[in-house]
Amino acid sequence: MNIVLYLHMHQPYRLARFRYVDLGSGRTYFDEGRNRTLFTGIADRCYRPALGILAHALETRPEFRVSLSVTGTFLEQAEAWAPDVVALIRRIVATGRASLLSETYYHSLAFLLPGNELADEVDAHRTALQDRFGITPTALRMTELAYSDALARFAEAQRFRGMLAEGWEGLLQGAEPTHLYCAASAPTVALLLRHYRLSDDIGFRFSSREWSEWPLTAEKYAHWLSITPGEVIGLFMDFETFGEHHPASSGILDFLRALPDAVARSGTLGWATVDEAIATLRPRGALEAPRTISWADQNRDLGAWLGNDLQRSAFEAAKKVGVLARRTGDPAILRDWRRLLTSDHFYYLYTGGHGADLGVHQYFSSYGSPFDAYANYMNALTDLRRRALDRLGVAPPPTVGGV
Amino acid sequence: MATAGGRIRGRLRRLIRGRPRPKVMRPADEPGRATTAPPPRSGRGTLRRAELAELARLLTWRRPPAPAAPRVALGVPRSLSVLMVGWEFPPFHSGGLGVHCHELVLELSRMGHRVTFVTPFPGPFEPIANVTFLSPGGPGDPPPPYPGAYDVTPTSVEPPTMDRYNAWIAGLRPSIPIDVIHVHDWFGTVGARAVARALGRPLVMTVHSTEYDRSLGHPWREILDREQAGVDGADRVIVVSRHLGDQLVTRYRAPPSKIRVIYNAVRPSERLARLEQSRSMVLYLGRLAAMKGVDTFLRAAARVAPLAPDTLFVVAGEGPEYPRLVTLAAHLGIGDRVLFVGKVTEDERAVLLSSASVFVLPSVVEPFGIAALEAMAAGVPAIVSKTSGVAEISGAVFAVDFWDIDEFASRIGELLEYPALRQAMGETGRWDSLKEGWPERALQTVGVYAEVSRPWVVP
Repeated sequence: MNIVLYLHMHQPYRLARFRYVDLGSGRTYFDEGRNRTLFTGIADRCYRPALGILAHALETRPEFRVSLSVTGTFLEQAEAWAPDVVALIRRIVATGRASLLSETYYHSLAFLLPGNELADEVDAHRTALQDRFGITPTALRMTELAYSDALARFAEAQRFRGMLAEGWEGLLQGAEPTHLYCAASAPTVALLLRHYRLSDDIGFRFSSREWSEWPLTAEKYAHWLSITPGEVIGLFMDFETFGEHHPASSGILDFLRALPDAVARSGTLGWATVDEAIATLRPRGALEAPRTISWADQNRDLGAWLGNDLQRSAFEAAKKVGVLARRTGDPAILRDWRRLLTSDHFYYLYTGGHGADLGVHQYFSSYGSPFDAYANYMNALTDLRRRALDRLGVAPPPTVGGV
Repeated sequence: MATAGGRIRGRLRRLIRGRPRPKVMRPADEPGRATTAPPPRSGRGTLRRAELAELARLLTWRRPPAPAAPRVALGVPRSLSVLMVGWEFPPFHSGGLGVHCHELVLELSRMGHRVTFVTPFPGPFEPIANVTFLSPGGPGDPPPPYPGAYDVTPTSVEPPTMDRYNAWIAGLRPSIPIDVIHVHDWFGTVGARAVARALGRPLVMTVHSTEYDRSLGHPWREILDREQAGVDGADRVIVVSRHLGDQLVTRYRAPPSKIRVIYNAVRPSERLARLEQSRSMVLYLGRLAAMKGVDTFLRAAARVAPLAPDTLFVVAGEGPEYPRLVTLAAHLGIGDRVLFVGKVTEDERAVLLSSASVFVLPSVVEPFGIAALEAMAAGVPAIVSKTSGVAEISGAVFAVDFWDIDEFASRIGELLEYPALRQAMGETGRWDSLKEGWPERALQTVGVYAEVSRPWVVP
């Protein structure tokens, strides 16, 4: 049994309060102070200790493997405020026993936009990884683990060997998530699936004292892994699981430190990177995904980002501004627009849903309400639209009813 | 010294329950010893004659019926009789206090409770089942010179007048038994406390606002003392927002354990805001008093007006600030964009609230802000100042610092500019404002009565 531990590293550019009266003022949309404070705090609590544990395990245990994806917005902020975090990632990559994955540079919803935006953002990300780490990834993960037949065709066109997807019943139709599959729409693209129960045991449940399995030890977890039938177990989660979502006091870092040893003791378990799993395993069959699925919430659809009217209207507005922004070709305008397309901004606009989901959304949002978040987002977008129109030489309407 | 009966009962208890278990030794206490206790003996033995007689007596004894569990949520087992000391009551000066008392009395009556309502105004009042109105003076006497609850100033009512009202309340001995005395705001606190003591019944006080707030920090000592008398004398103090409760703790030294928050409510509105219309209206509706911060509304309007040429700003209501506000609007250059419509009737009020695009309540001080709740019930998104109790009920309002003109202007602009925001906030706000209505508020009030009067305990 191959264990694929894949961790996702991302931080968005959070917006400052950009008021309606600030339209046209030239103020920046992003809250540098807060982004910096948050980033350096998370670096202390999570990135430095957890990356250190992984680097140590890779350097001392020849069988250990890990896979990472690092967004462009993360890399920019890390280079600005915590360059040693980038150095740690470089140290991990240098062991040769870690995979890096491709995705959009801005962790954006570009895959829902027409035209070349998605390809451009994936290219930008690929270039960033080549520059920093000298690596060209062979596998693609889409924002929020989004996956569909159309995305598999995109991956094929971009010459990716594989994609990641949620190992959800709706996609599997009775098949087991513990095998490699391929995309029905693009058979050359292998599909490596997230085992959501075992992943969420760490990602969501680890520190929950109401959970009947609390406290989770590495031995117990390795035992669960060893009795799971199949060829590969995809443990995919946010990197921030280790030290941020679960604080160090919950024992999560000790768990991570103890896991390679516990896995080794089991006798039947081994580690693989995403690239290795895709290269060595044979696909068990083809999976169809006519509708886009994701790794979020109970429904595993795009409802977390585009489920309500506020989210859809914000996205539609962003789409329209994007047409103008791309036409200007102005790097500053394009950069701001792409940062506004980061999926996190739409996540903050979530209003409904079930108890557990709403709790997760509120945990990630720093706004008082989704209405606050929407007004702020739309102000920034409206201002960006004015800048784009201005750049194109069109006078923006001074009145209400713009976007 | 144990009596024979005590010994017998003790033995019977052991027969029924088994003997007390010997202490279990844990391994840590005494290593190496068995950790399981010997099983309790079966307890079978012979009974002496006296024990048999006692057993026979005990077996014929029946458990008394358990007292009914307090069903506070759905009304208490028997109807309560409330002596309610108010001030204004429709049709006399129905401000927030009058509305609250009226709705509360209606719901209490509907639940089958009796209310004896005390007011200085002689009526006539619309008859309500189970409700008796009491006022000083005989029928046919001219109405006394009492002002509305929010028009009280050191010149409009004199302490001797208030003393006479309170002395009259103190002397009340209603012909029906009273379970609880409930006083609203400061007007009758001294009398209510005296009558509660005389009748030996608990006192509940509802604070709708404080003198500090109404006077914008220049309180009249006379009123403060009467408020303090109520807060000190009451067994429970109901407030219309958490914020107001905190103020009672810090300024009136009220023990937090005495305070209960019961928000105001609105009746469901059949009229809904028309969300799409050619001309948008931004509405302020309320008294034109300094504490309401209407000048902030005008200054914010002046900032937004150039960006929203099709928007009309409406100020509805009357009050002492009117001349200053009209002058200010002209001074800000928005005289033609602001419409002062004066005092409005109930029907006009409903029309205004349901046709507004945005409702603004920029009060410097606003214990609750019932007008904002009415706007929300009509599906109109509301912007309120942060102190307002409405912001404690719903997340679907924009809460702004009362002095932050730019932020008020921005919130107005955002709601006018983004229809999806207006729609989503309107819908969520409507739901939040109607989730709990006056029936629920009255039930919560009865819950407080129940806390102090224990009506289900049969004397």
